[in-house]
Amino acid sequence: MMQITCPHCGPRAQSEFIYERTVDSVVPLDAAPEQAMTALFSRANPRGVDEEIWRHTYGCRAWLIMTRHRVTNEISATRAVGPEALP
Amino acid sequence: MSGPTRDPKGATISFSFDGKTYKARAGDTLAAALLANGVGLVGRSFKYHRPRGIMTAGIEEPNALVTVGEGGRAEPNTRATDVFVYDGLIARSQNRWPSLSFDMGAVFSLAAPMLGAGFYYKTFFGSAKRWMFYEYFIRKAAGLGNAPTKADPDRFSQRAAFCDVLVVGAGPAGLQAALEQAEAGKRVILVEQDNILGASLIRDPQELDAAWAEAASARIRAAGGRILTRTTASGYWEHDLVTLTQRLSEPGEVPTNGVTQRLWHVRASQVILATGSIERPIAFAHNDRPGVMLSQATRTYVRRFGVLPGKRVVIATNNDDAYKTAHALQDAGAEIVAILDARPQFSDAAASAESAGLPVWTNAVPSSVSGARHCLSGVTAIVDGQSKNWKADLIAVSGGFTPVVHLHMQAGGTLDWNEAAQAFVPAVSRQNVTTIGGAANPDPVFPVTPVSNPKKSFIDFQNDVSLADVDLAWAEGYRSVEHLKRYTTLGMATDQGKLSNMAALGRLAEKQGVSIPEAGLTTFRPPYTPVSMGLIAGAGAKNAGAHVRRLALYDVHAAKNPIWQPLGYWFRPRAYPQGQETLAQAALREAKEVRTGVGMTDVSTLAKFEVSGPDAAAFLELICATTVSKLAVGRGRYTFMLREDGIAFDDGTVWRLDENRYLLTSSTGGADRMATHISYVRQYLCPQMKVSAVNVQEHYAGIAIAGPKAKAAMDALIKADSPRHMSTVPAEIAGVPVIVLAASYSGERAFEVYVEASHAASVWAACEAEVTAQGGCLYGLEAMEFLRIEKGHLVVGGEVDGRMTPMDLALDKMLNKAGGYIGATGLSRPALAEPGRRQLVGLEAIEGDIPEGAMLITRKGGSPHGHVSAAAFRILEGGSVALGQLKDGFSRHGEELIASSPTRGQEARVRVVHPHFYDTVGERYRD
Amino acid sequence: MTNVTMTLLPAAPLHVFEIWSNPAAVAKRFKAATGFELPATGTSGGSDALRLIRFEPTVWLVEGDISALGDILADDGALTAIGGGTVRIRLSGAGWRTLLMEGGVFNAEDPAFSAGCSAATVIDHVNVRLHVVSDDVCDAYVPLSFSAGLLHFWKEAALSLFEGVAS
Repeated sequence: MMQITCPHCGPRAQSEFIYERTVDSVVPLDAAPEQAMTALFSRANPRGVDEEIWRHTYGCRAWLIMTRHRVTNEISATRAVGPEALP
Repeated sequence: MSGPTRDPKGATISFSFDGKTYKARAGDTLAAALLANGVGLVGRSFKYHRPRGIMTAGIEEPNALVTVGEGGRAEPNTRATDVFVYDGLIARSQNRWPSLSFDMGAVFSLAAPMLGAGFYYKTFFGSAKRWMFYEYFIRKAAGLGNAPTKADPDRFSQRAAFCDVLVVGAGPAGLQAALEQAEAGKRVILVEQDNILGASLIRDPQELDAAWAEAASARIRAAGGRILTRTTASGYWEHDLVTLTQRLSEPGEVPTNGVTQRLWHVRASQVILATGSIERPIAFAHNDRPGVMLSQATRTYVRRFGVLPGKRVVIATNNDDAYKTAHALQDAGAEIVAILDARPQFSDAAASAESAGLPVWTNAVPSSVSGARHCLSGVTAIVDGQSKNWKADLIAVSGGFTPVVHLHMQAGGTLDWNEAAQAFVPAVSRQNVTTIGGAANPDPVFPVTPVSNPKKSFIDFQNDVSLADVDLAWAEGYRSVEHLKRYTTLGMATDQGKLSNMAALGRLAEKQGVSIPEAGLTTFRPPYTPVSMGLIAGAGAKNAGAHVRRLALYDVHAAKNPIWQPLGYWFRPRAYPQGQETLAQAALREAKEVRTGVGMTDVSTLAKFEVSGPDAAAFLELICATTVSKLAVGRGRYTFMLREDGIAFDDGTVWRLDENRYLLTSSTGGADRMATHISYVRQYLCPQMKVSAVNVQEHYAGIAIAGPKAKAAMDALIKADSPRHMSTVPAEIAGVPVIVLAASYSGERAFEVYVEASHAASVWAACEAEVTAQGGCLYGLEAMEFLRIEKGHLVVGGEVDGRMTPMDLALDKMLNKAGGYIGATGLSRPALAEPGRRQLVGLEAIEGDIPEGAMLITRKGGSPHGHVSAAAFRILEGGSVALGQLKDGFSRHGEELIASSPTRGQEARVRVVHPHFYDTVGERYRD
Repeated sequence: MTNVTMTLLPAAPLHVFEIWSNPAAVAKRFKAATGFELPATGTSGGSDALRLIRFEPTVWLVEGDISALGDILADDGALTAIGGGTVRIRLSGAGWRTLLMEGGVFNAEDPAFSAGCSAATVIDHVNVRLHVVSDDVCDAYVPLSFSAGLLHFWKEAALSLFEGVAS
């Protein structure tokens, strides 16, 4: 079980989080059909570092982007995403 | 072994082994107590049923596996060396019939040539008949203990802990490290799998002894450190999370506070592994029999337990450590008949032993031992190329030391080969972990090449793998260590090769003509020692893994004694039988009441979201594939939601409660998924939107009232004219504010009442009184299913199964023409409009009852054209009807098919029809 | 000796206070109207009359009188009632930290998690929100549907951890 540093709550156990998808599989709302199909059906899936979207579902419920090495599970960064928030 | 090996004085604890009662001393392991009572034969081996005794004094024991405890507390495959005797302990030997000393299975030993490496695989290549013939005998004969058939009466606990430093192993190195860290102000947890601290200090007291260990532990505790004994660090996971398995009671023992074991999840900033090493056996013929014991284990029995496992002892070694065993045995009164030292030269230890009068032979390697079932009688060795014999009742062996690097490897670390010690030691660590003590610096040894008959020279005792099996695997072309492992089953028993891996690697390297590190090593994975399944389940072991979600109105329903139905984590009333009614009878009565009078049911589990803000409508038009913005205040509509790829994944209703406030409902089963989806769209895709979407699933309890008399009931309840179909009004029932929605799932005029869950009971009571006054009744999920199938309404997870588009479900007319909703782009994929897709249809039985889940075929033996997703009966007229998905189904109305369920052994002839069987024009739910 | 006592607090109105725009301006209006700051993530503020506990970046849980909050939010956020679906369980006694480690993954034993702190986490698979009231009192906000199960779990755990347990 990994330890994930939530940008709002600090280091927490992985069981409080849910994985959503990789950043390259996000379909923006204004995506052109081709861009949407690429995001949905052809992803990079690297053996190494990737950017992933997670949610601190059972904690602060906020979304974050995690830079994770998919072999060693080393997490080099996490950053907050979402609406503007007070500190 | 014959007769007791220890003065019975002080042995006051009673225990039994195979029905016979013995006495033990406090602090004895079961193995020590058995040895003290002269019990040498403890088990039978896995495959050949060879007699086996006690070889070690620790968790690595491969032979002395027993079942401890009775009933639900029975623990099979317990190592006798890893259970501490308590009063009343009951142990039984395993894998023998009819008795341990006379075991019919031992004939397998005669058949050993047929049962070598790869035997199982080879039988697969023969005819199936041949395999089935073998299987019958193999299943009967091979194996370990039996799993208990009763539930474990005790609890398993799981617990989190955080610390600066976790120290694994309380030998001298671990104690020292824990003491330093604790006194430096660090939060320390020290774990030890034994029930006392000290490890090697207990068998080898020198400058540091047991008294020092006790003083050190007192200082660690005084500095705020936590010491856990009987606790094994069994897994090293990501980011320095270590799982510990703690025994609060011994196997089979009644725990003092209800909890038998605890699983700790320890997140440490730093981990220090002081895990020591495990002594290796030496390969020689019959090295698996009772009377062959590891050298350090022998010393442990002598010094810690006061047991003398042999009177005439041969020591076989390739290192200096075993000389300590010789001295310990001699001090305790045993006769050392020979010390066989594989090394060509006298070491200092060897020289001083010889000058003390012990018979030391160099360049000496054991080749064979002989004996009867229970004991050893002689040892044969090759000394300077010549065969020599000794009479002996014990051979204490030391083939070197294997550092316990399991946790280091589980953490992702690498290993280096230490040539002097002939062992792998930790090299680079991946996480914040360091290894100290014997695990990092094993004693030097001399490499021994076996000189014995490989067939009876065992390396993996638990799985009966001999040197000959390694040779056979090699001869048959298995070169990689991973292939060797799987072909021979070496290292795959419950001990996971703790004693065997290095011997096998040595043999493989010899065959390959390479060094051991070049031959490779298999991967170490958790757990380090076996873990009870109940411990992994934790408290969930008692309630099917997770908490049941209780309805707000649970007590109200429970008082009516309904038939309950699990639905995800929820339990909901399935039907409320009266008198002797069966489920089917009760459900049909309830459904008929809804069709002809009025019924009410609990719909609290539906997903519900309150969406407010100036952008609420725009937000909902992303989530919903239908229009929302055109809704007037007080109006609602059916809606459905699509995945980004255009597939329907949920449905529900959306209501405009106020200018900028909406209520969205969706399916119970999809509630969590919908909550995540809504949050993703809101927070990730549209962070700039002025909208708040709050999950109010549990805030509101929901009560549905349906039937021709529903309007009369609702008018009376809210003392006003009820809202029209697909309209909503705020109201009061029994003085409690509620939201009344007019929506119908059943096909009748119907309402849903939403009330704050904390006030639900009084509103329910008022509704029930009114419904009863109208002559109506409660209905459960089963009746609801009958009603909705007859009406052709969808269920998420049934008809909406993650493969169907709005077109396939005939919902496309409702799609928001302006597009812009999630899934609009995905839906435009040409493939989704191609012919040959499965489409929603109704099915009417021509002959027989339609089985749920049946495939739809045109002829017997044909390939399926679709399936039945839900089946029911026409509520008033009778007759079997169903909903299904059928290839090109829209254009096949009128066609006859077979609905066949081979798994249920049922079949019906059906006609494809429109999926609405009842009130096809939709008159009944309007006023 | 009892080291932890579990009390079901009476059902009370609870609201979600969400800001979707101009957070700094809302914070200013809030301070002016109530006299205290909007609390930071992981903390609470206010008094028994009006308490805001912040579990989420843009969302506060409100206990007490909400009459002033609508004007404070104006067009920059919304209030939504959620009290019906939440059960408040008060854990009193020195043992609450020990109890919360059982089936948990959050470090409730950290002394920095002290009075005025809040955290949301998972305990025995149930999502629980914690608010430390004082050294000896921690309130847990539990989904109604899981509350009976979690209370049972806590009672059994307390029996195994402490010499006695009251509820």
